[in-house]
Amino acid sequence: MKRILYLVQKEFRQILRQKIYLSLIFVMPFIQIVVMGFAITTDVKNITVAVVDHDYSFMSRRFIDAFTQTGYFDLKSIGRSIKEAENAMQQGDVKLIIQIPFDFEKNVKNGKQPQLQVIVDGVDGNTAGIVLAYTNQITAMLQREWGSEINAEPADLRLVDVETRMVYNPMLDSVYNITPGILAVMLMVVTSFLTGMSIVREKEIGTLEQLMVTPVKKIEMILGKTIPILIVGFLLFNVGMLGIGFIFGLWIKGNLFTLYLMVVFYCFSTLGLGIFASTLAKTQQQAMFIAWFFMIFAILLSGFFIPVENMPDFVQVITLLNPVRFFMVVIREIYLKGTEIRYLWEEGLAMLILGLITFTSASMNFHKRIT
Amino acid sequence: MSQSEYAVYVENLSRCFGSFKAVSDVSFKVKSGEIFGFLGANGAGKTTTIRMLCGLLMPSSGNAVIAGYNVFTDAEKIKHNIGYMAQRFSLYEDLTVKENIEFYGGVYGLSRKQIKIKTEELLDYLKLWDHADKLTLSLPLGWKQRIALSTALLHDPGIIFLDEPTSGVDPESRRNFWTLIYQLSGKGKTIFVTTHYMDEAGFCNRLSIMKDGKIIELDQPKVLKRKYNANSMQKVFMSVIKGKKT
Repeated sequence: MKRILYLVQKEFRQILRQKIYLSLIFVMPFIQIVVMGFAITTDVKNITVAVVDHDYSFMSRRFIDAFTQTGYFDLKSIGRSIKEAENAMQQGDVKLIIQIPFDFEKNVKNGKQPQLQVIVDGVDGNTAGIVLAYTNQITAMLQREWGSEINAEPADLRLVDVETRMVYNPMLDSVYNITPGILAVMLMVVTSFLTGMSIVREKEIGTLEQLMVTPVKKIEMILGKTIPILIVGFLLFNVGMLGIGFIFGLWIKGNLFTLYLMVVFYCFSTLGLGIFASTLAKTQQQAMFIAWFFMIFAILLSGFFIPVENMPDFVQVITLLNPVRFFMVVIREIYLKGTEIRYLWEEGLAMLILGLITFTSASMNFHKRIT
Repeated sequence: MSQSEYAVYVENLSRCFGSFKAVSDVSFKVKSGEIFGFLGANGAGKTTTIRMLCGLLMPSSGNAVIAGYNVFTDAEKIKHNIGYMAQRFSLYEDLTVKENIEFYGGVYGLSRKQIKIKTEELLDYLKLWDHADKLTLSLPLGWKQRIALSTALLHDPGIIFLDEPTSGVDPESRRNFWTLIYQLSGKGKTIFVTTHYMDEAGFCNRLSIMKDGKIIELDQPKVLKRKYNANSMQKVFMSVIKGKKT
């Protein structure tokens, strides 16, 4: 076991001599968090709207104002022709058409059911869904406002059926959701790639063959490689957390050590993936391709961009094999809600089991012989 | 003599890669303290054989016993008793000379104190004190090869496998390297060396010549010269390869 110390020491000497590693640890997290935190946003802003107002009443004006005041909508035109509005949508000039019928105000005041028409450009389904959600929220607000004005029971006046309330992320600010997710992805990419590539690099230059003829044990070789990379990943993770804190003002709500424990569980799988890639690959490029092949699935099926609940049933079953999916839940829960470990042990256990399976089977595939 | 009394005992050893027979039915015995040479063109099967003997590559069939341990069952025990230097460079170029020695010493299970003593011995012997803290990358190839050999011997193994240790090295460095090999042999170490330099082949106690995975000639260099009526190893080699006998 003393040999591991020498192996780890050697790795750190090599890491510290390569400036690229240092910038990887300290610069990359900041850049990724800044760029992706701002760029990958599921907030939809500047939604172009055409209003077709057949009523021209006080209430229809109020309705339109309610939209423009949110700051999410950009009012392009108010007119009387639905044809014109539809043409504008056809040409991509507007994403949303709101049609207010004749006697809208009169119907509201009389407690009748006024019928609003909302047309959303569905080309980008994701955006469309969010636009619709905004619309629902605004109409729900007006419903309450007018309900009390005309002394009607809110139930009598139904502009919308569904009212959604967001807890923990009331503004639906996607930075809160995205940035912890970036940490999860970054941790996987860095630890898997570095493990795979540093083993294969030694294969390429021939030092691995030299190590294979020494009495060093297989498990010592593997731990000697993975421990330094785990430490690098851990540093990078912490730098990333600081970055999120300073740039977006988002600091961890829950217990830091719970998160650290989960990071270790998570990294069993990511390091295992790296070892696995190194056993199949002869060159660093091959190792990268193999690792990337698995990573792309792991990221897309993690709930990072697309909620797991939105996936087809059989895909949801597949995601149970994906450690990133569990870590995505864990890191968001601990970060945003401060969830305690007793509510997260299932995810933790799943990651630990998947990690041990990946790590041991990859290690079993790693031989001290050339094949 | 029984199998385990030889430093290297090989009987009908073969290795196939798919349908290609890289080494076929090779047999030889090497006594302790001998310098045993392996001569052959590229692709003749030298490296494959040496890798099997070091426990790096599983043989397809046959039997091989190194330092009393079987390559099939005791590959890891063999590794305590051999030094190995591959034709590919085996030092870490982004570590200094000292760090390389320290690392390999640690991997071979030496204590801190032993490593310190060994490092001083080696730097004295190789006259490398001025370069001890330089990255290995910056040293000439001939020096690197001697450092590589020295690091492969940190655990004081009885048998040393060298796979084309001097390829690409200038003549003076090659001579220095062979001085080192003779010194080791003088200390009772068994040396197993592959080469394609004819002059080096002549330095060996016994020499085997490989062609297409088979050993086609094995004897002392002077006996081979007499047998083929040649005055240089070059001529012996050409006659053996062409298969003509006089």
